[in-house]
Amino acid sequence: MSDTYSVTVTDPIVQVKDLSFYYGTAKALHNISLDFPKNMVTALIGPSGCGKSTLLRCLNRMNDLVDKARVEGSILLDGTEINTPAMDVIELRRRIGMVFQKSNPFPKTIYENVVYGLRIAGVRDKAVLDETVERSLRNAALWDEVKDRLHESALGMSGGQMQRLCIARAIAVNPEVVLMDEPCSALDPKSTARVEELISELREKYTIIIVTHNMQQAARVSDYTAFLYEGVMVEFGVTEALFVKPRHKQTEDYITGRFG
Amino acid sequence: MNRKVLKRIKRRDRIARYVITVGGMAIIFSVILILFLIARVAFPLFQGARTEMVTQFPLPSSTPAVPLVAAGLDDYREHPFVFDRDGVVRFYSPHEGPVATELRLQPPVPSARVRSVERFAGLSFGVLWDDGSQTLEQVHFTSSFDEHGKREQDQQVVRLASFPPPLSGTVKLSLVRVSEDGRQTQVTLLNDGSLLVRQHVESEDLFGNLSAESHEFALSGQPDEEIAALALSGGGNTLYAGTDQGTLLRWDLSEPGAAELRDRLPAFPDRRAITVLALVFGDVSLAVGDAKGGVSTWFPVRVNAEEEGKHLQRIHTLTSHKSAVKSIYPSLRDKSLVSMDVEGVLHLDHMTSERHLLSIETDTPLLLSSLSPDGRGLFAVDASGMAHLWEVHNPHPEVSLKTLFGKVWYEGYDAPAYMWQSSAATDDFEPKMSLTPLIFGTIKGTFYAMLFAVPLAILGAIYTSQFGNPRLRGIVKPAVEVMAAIPSVIIGFLAALWFAPLLEKSVPALFVSLAFVPLFLLLAIVAWQFICKYPLCKKLDRGFEFLLLAPVLVAAVFCAIQLGPVAESMFFGGNFQLWLFGETGTRYDARNNIIIAFALGFAVIPIIFTMAEDALSNVPPSLKAASLALGASRWQTVWRVILPSGSPGIFAGTMIGFGRAIGETMIVLMATGNTAIMDWSIFNGMRPLSSNIAVEIPEAPVDGSLYRVLFLSAVILFVMTFVLNTVAELVRQRLRNKYGRF
Repeated sequence: MSDTYSVTVTDPIVQVKDLSFYYGTAKALHNISLDFPKNMVTALIGPSGCGKSTLLRCLNRMNDLVDKARVEGSILLDGTEINTPAMDVIELRRRIGMVFQKSNPFPKTIYENVVYGLRIAGVRDKAVLDETVERSLRNAALWDEVKDRLHESALGMSGGQMQRLCIARAIAVNPEVVLMDEPCSALDPKSTARVEELISELREKYTIIIVTHNMQQAARVSDYTAFLYEGVMVEFGVTEALFVKPRHKQTEDYITGRFG
Repeated sequence: MNRKVLKRIKRRDRIARYVITVGGMAIIFSVILILFLIARVAFPLFQGARTEMVTQFPLPSSTPAVPLVAAGLDDYREHPFVFDRDGVVRFYSPHEGPVATELRLQPPVPSARVRSVERFAGLSFGVLWDDGSQTLEQVHFTSSFDEHGKREQDQQVVRLASFPPPLSGTVKLSLVRVSEDGRQTQVTLLNDGSLLVRQHVESEDLFGNLSAESHEFALSGQPDEEIAALALSGGGNTLYAGTDQGTLLRWDLSEPGAAELRDRLPAFPDRRAITVLALVFGDVSLAVGDAKGGVSTWFPVRVNAEEEGKHLQRIHTLTSHKSAVKSIYPSLRDKSLVSMDVEGVLHLDHMTSERHLLSIETDTPLLLSSLSPDGRGLFAVDASGMAHLWEVHNPHPEVSLKTLFGKVWYEGYDAPAYMWQSSAATDDFEPKMSLTPLIFGTIKGTFYAMLFAVPLAILGAIYTSQFGNPRLRGIVKPAVEVMAAIPSVIIGFLAALWFAPLLEKSVPALFVSLAFVPLFLLLAIVAWQFICKYPLCKKLDRGFEFLLLAPVLVAAVFCAIQLGPVAESMFFGGNFQLWLFGETGTRYDARNNIIIAFALGFAVIPIIFTMAEDALSNVPPSLKAASLALGASRWQTVWRVILPSGSPGIFAGTMIGFGRAIGETMIVLMATGNTAIMDWSIFNGMRPLSSNIAVEIPEAPVDGSLYRVLFLSAVILFVMTFVLNTVAELVRQRLRNKYGRF
């Protein structure tokens, strides 16, 4: 689209090219092209229904589960096309982890939640599992809180702890990219602060793509920001630049609170 | 908000709460009430017998006092009578006054007196006169109605047979019987210990000429011990003798003019004296009373399979008396026995159930006693000349916990067994009412049905909810629910009349298909690995796999049916049923457990499927998404996340299906064959509790033992489902606490 403002990224890990997405006949994404930089936090912002979650779910092909959904265009992960039948979805999702809007721990123990990704990959070695649990929970800043009750049900945790557990679960399998779909929307401010802090720490190891409603949050945690509006990518750029000096009128209207 | 509106809302809330509470309580109350009503009918089974004193009167004493030798009672309990030593039969009417009607027996020689009287088969009396001659007298009561409609009874004594004294020797004991075909048999024990048999046989030859022959011979084979008791079967075919050294003897007298000693065995290890022998109603079991007060019953049993013939064996031991047994009289209605000891204490016991029903002890010891032929009246005379007349309430003597649930040694069986056979063509048969084979039948039928239904229903639910296309789900689920609406009588009808004959012809095909279906599926999966790379196949991948598999299944079953006869001739010698019987000794019943598994399974699959499908579909999509996003395959997601989370619902569905299978009546009634056997073989039928109730309740006389036992089995059925549902609910709660917040 002619009025799309975008910057080029030097070291992209995920490249989206001319991506369109349809729910049945309704077109949810319009020819989106966007490069996500490696080891950076990229925020996707925009009003409700603008397609940011849809875009996120295209990246690990979670949209496969949607009946009558259709994808056009290409998405490259490290230069490999993921939208082909030859792509192993399981392998893809192993490399691109995901944290959901509503925390969704399995009705299992904390320990089993963290090692789930390893167990389904067939890892049986107790030492490896133990090591992974500790590392993941430490990375998710949860270890000190739960180390004494690893074998209790995850359902007994607080909301903020559950969401951090989901992050620990996602990073336990060492993905390259972590997708976060409004990870703080159901959390209180204190828990949100913890998770945001965590995201800043995680960027050193992982590429993070986060969908958020909260522009302050985007400004706080992200390096790059993409603004989507009605299925169209309006503006993509370095976060500071986009928030301080938006190039597109719609972006400016949105971030200054005139709509959204 | 307006106060009025607020008040109205509160009032409605309160009304709703009351209505709901009352409704819930009413349901609980009616369930308990139903259980109570059923249990109340069953309860009297376990009550003992009781007597009710009708009257007591002193026998008018004659001068000089003539000792009494026997007593008897009619069915209306109106005319007790006694035999005295002078050969006078005195009928009393205690309701009308002390006046007695007297009938005098015609003595065989003038001035002969009665030595002893043996009473058998109700109102028949073998009278031994002191000159050694014997007569057989039968007391008859004929009822008529006078012009006011009042019943009047007339008494008569009829002489059926008469034997002169033996040519030599003094008679000590003598028995006489007349069989239905007119054969007269007399067995006489002489003072010197020899046994004399006299028979009069009338026979009719081919031309209708009657000929009579008489036989007289002495028995041989008795030990050198004093014979203390004799018993002769009703037709005079079998003679039993017991000695003071405890030896039991049995002769077969069925061939006129000949006797064969069948048994000669020490009855008790301590060689106690046998004092009384009597045949239990039906003439199969022998009741033995001994000097130590023991009462036991015996009948001939095949001891080992190779040996020809049967030998007497002690089967039941009844409650002991404190002193030697003096007399035993069988009831003429069931297998109950009245026994009396020398101290005059009277016991009523039932042979099969070994239940001690009644003890009667009066102030003065009882001398003579008699049950009325219908077993509901008891007449006794004590040493002081006082007569007692009781009404006996003994409704369910044959039922005890042991006969209901344990192994019982029934007459004619070679070993104790669990048996259900509530009625037979004859009156003197022993009802066999063990609920164990019925409970077994219920469990067996349900077990195999669940074995068939649960995997099919749950796997079907998993496929439809997790793998199948949503549009497919929209078709399959309502279709299966329609399956649940098929009346069970139709399923039973089809199973019994269409499926059973079909299966009978093609059991080998069923076995072949059990091997072929997995084999073909495996081959199909291997083949799929090669062709799944083509783009066309990719389209089929999501949710329509069954379209590919359905032809494979059809092909597998078709091949199995084609190969069935080949397999039958190759492995089963051309006839599976014969092969099965020859190799394993199992009979092939046309209505067998395979039929039941399919038919009952067909009835419960929809229940389990629907509930399991709902449970699996209701697992939050977020859990599924979380698992898939971590790189789990669809199957891993189902196995590790969806199934555990859906398990409470799946479990509940399975249990409700289980309860339905246990209580299901129509299908099992029509397709089990209703044979109450205990065999886990899938080729045999069974008789579940539910269909047993349906089959037998129309034949059960109200308030009879069978009627009450059927109600008891209803209680058991009720309790089984109740316990099952309660346990299921508890497990479901636990699972729910473990696996979900939703």
